[in-house]
Amino acid sequence: MRNFFTIWRRELAGCFLSPVAYVTMVLFIGAAGGTFMTGVVRHEGVQSSLPELLYSAIMIWGTVLITVISMRLFTEEKRAGTIETLMTAPVTESAVVLGKYAGALAFFMVVTAPVVGCAYILARMSPTIGTIDTGCMLAGGLMVLLVSSACVSVGLVISLTTRNQIIAAICCFAAIWLVILAGWLIKVLPCGGGEALVEYISSDHHLYNFSRGIVDTRPIILYLSGTVLMLFVAVRMLESRRWR
Amino acid sequence: MVMIQVDNLTKCFGRTVAIDDMSFHVERGEIVGFLGPNGAGKTTMMRVLSCFLPPTGGTVKIGGMDAFQDSLAVRRTIGYMPENVPLYTDMRVEEYLRYRAKLKGVRGKRLTRRFDEVATQCGLIGAEHKIIGHLSKGYRQRVGLADSLIHEPEVLILDEPTIGLDPNQIRHIRNLIRGLAERHTVLLSSHILPEVEAVCERVLIVNRGRIVASDTPDNLLGLIHGNPRITLEAMGPRHDIAAKLEDLPGVEKVSWEASGGWHRFICETESNRDIRADVFRMVAENEWTLRELTSKRKNLEDVFVEVTHKGVLRDVAEAEEEEEEEEEEEETEVGVDGE
Repeated sequence: MRNFFTIWRRELAGCFLSPVAYVTMVLFIGAAGGTFMTGVVRHEGVQSSLPELLYSAIMIWGTVLITVISMRLFTEEKRAGTIETLMTAPVTESAVVLGKYAGALAFFMVVTAPVVGCAYILARMSPTIGTIDTGCMLAGGLMVLLVSSACVSVGLVISLTTRNQIIAAICCFAAIWLVILAGWLIKVLPCGGGEALVEYISSDHHLYNFSRGIVDTRPIILYLSGTVLMLFVAVRMLESRRWR
Repeated sequence: MVMIQVDNLTKCFGRTVAIDDMSFHVERGEIVGFLGPNGAGKTTMMRVLSCFLPPTGGTVKIGGMDAFQDSLAVRRTIGYMPENVPLYTDMRVEEYLRYRAKLKGVRGKRLTRRFDEVATQCGLIGAEHKIIGHLSKGYRQRVGLADSLIHEPEVLILDEPTIGLDPNQIRHIRNLIRGLAERHTVLLSSHILPEVEAVCERVLIVNRGRIVASDTPDNLLGLIHGNPRITLEAMGPRHDIAAKLEDLPGVEKVSWEASGGWHRFICETESNRDIRADVFRMVAENEWTLRELTSKRKNLEDVFVEVTHKGVLRDVAEAEEEEEEEEEEEETEVGVDGE
């Protein structure tokens, strides 16, 4: 357990040691904030949910952010050879996987938090917007957190499969978009999965509901169980090396 | 007490056999060297001992614990420094060592004390706040060594600890390793034969996944024709000098090479007898001029080359035999089809 916290701390601190982190933060805040503002301007005069606009903007750019975060999780260790010093220390594979996962997710939250602040700044500056519904903000934030936690876990598994960061980045990006667009793809493709299935797995739909304050436990279980499954797979993949 | 016990260890990567039925043991407090050419299986052996790779067959026991079954316990007992010392280049030295210490269960006051001790031991005082990526190879090696020592392990496994270092740094690491023997059992692998000769009490020479020799450096030298070789440089009729040298008692073989106008003779002697006095007398009697007369014992490098080269030659011969057999079979088959 202690090793988990040690690795988590080192991973999070390690993110900020490189200038790439700061550049990524600035670019993400600029891009997501800009997309949010564009959405607000387009919906001017129209009754629409501010949290939904905000979190959609975060989710769109979040795919790039999560790709950048997760592509180097294990690929960097394998490439540099530090995986050898890590796995020959008295640490369990679970502690390593969970520590890296928690570090990546924490970094995502640190980078995303200022963008959430944009909505409050807007509300302060604009007399027509008034107060923002805290419940909706919290619920929408929860949904973004759940989707991104699932995406980070997928990215972690992909980073375990290769030592090349470019391959990891491309596969990660594709996988994350698959997770997010799963529902939409089923709707669009002629195979036809039925309304219920689309509603069940469409992250778009979940975000829409949560941003309006409709907290449904089914998507929560969906993303949580997906995350747990991916982390389990990651631990087993790392352990498999001891059997080959 | 036996600290490292390896029995019938085999490690295969697909069809490649990296370690082929190796067995050896290391007693507590010993410094044992693993010598071998590239591809002999040294690094693979280090990785199996450090629980990074599992064995395909056989057992590895460190401190009485099986490296496969009790991997976590074994990893607490060993300090491992991999080849080329991989480090997190964006961390500072102190930061990195503290992180590694915490992973190995060293915390609080003990961590502060151990950090100061290994920093002094490994010569890192003054470099604690430097970024690892900015350090020279010698300093990185010291950081790697400090990392392997910080949790006071009983067994140290060092893969090529002096590779790429300059002579000053090599000397420093060598003295450090010698000093460790009192409290640790050390197994190190190397290409640098003088280092192994100077530091290790026992040497295991490996070639192509097998142990080809295992003994103290002195015994190994005696085992493989460790007799003195006399070198002399003289001015005079070359063939006469060579003939007289061959006639001397105890001389097995005489070889010649030119040396800037002088004749340089190398005599292989058949016993431990020192024939230099006889050589001097012989040269003086014939009134030839002598300018150098030295006796050189074979060193570990000669043992290494002799032992591993034979293995290479044997394998090459076997490979050629197999090719010939295959060609014969093909010819026979063609004959059958032709008919």
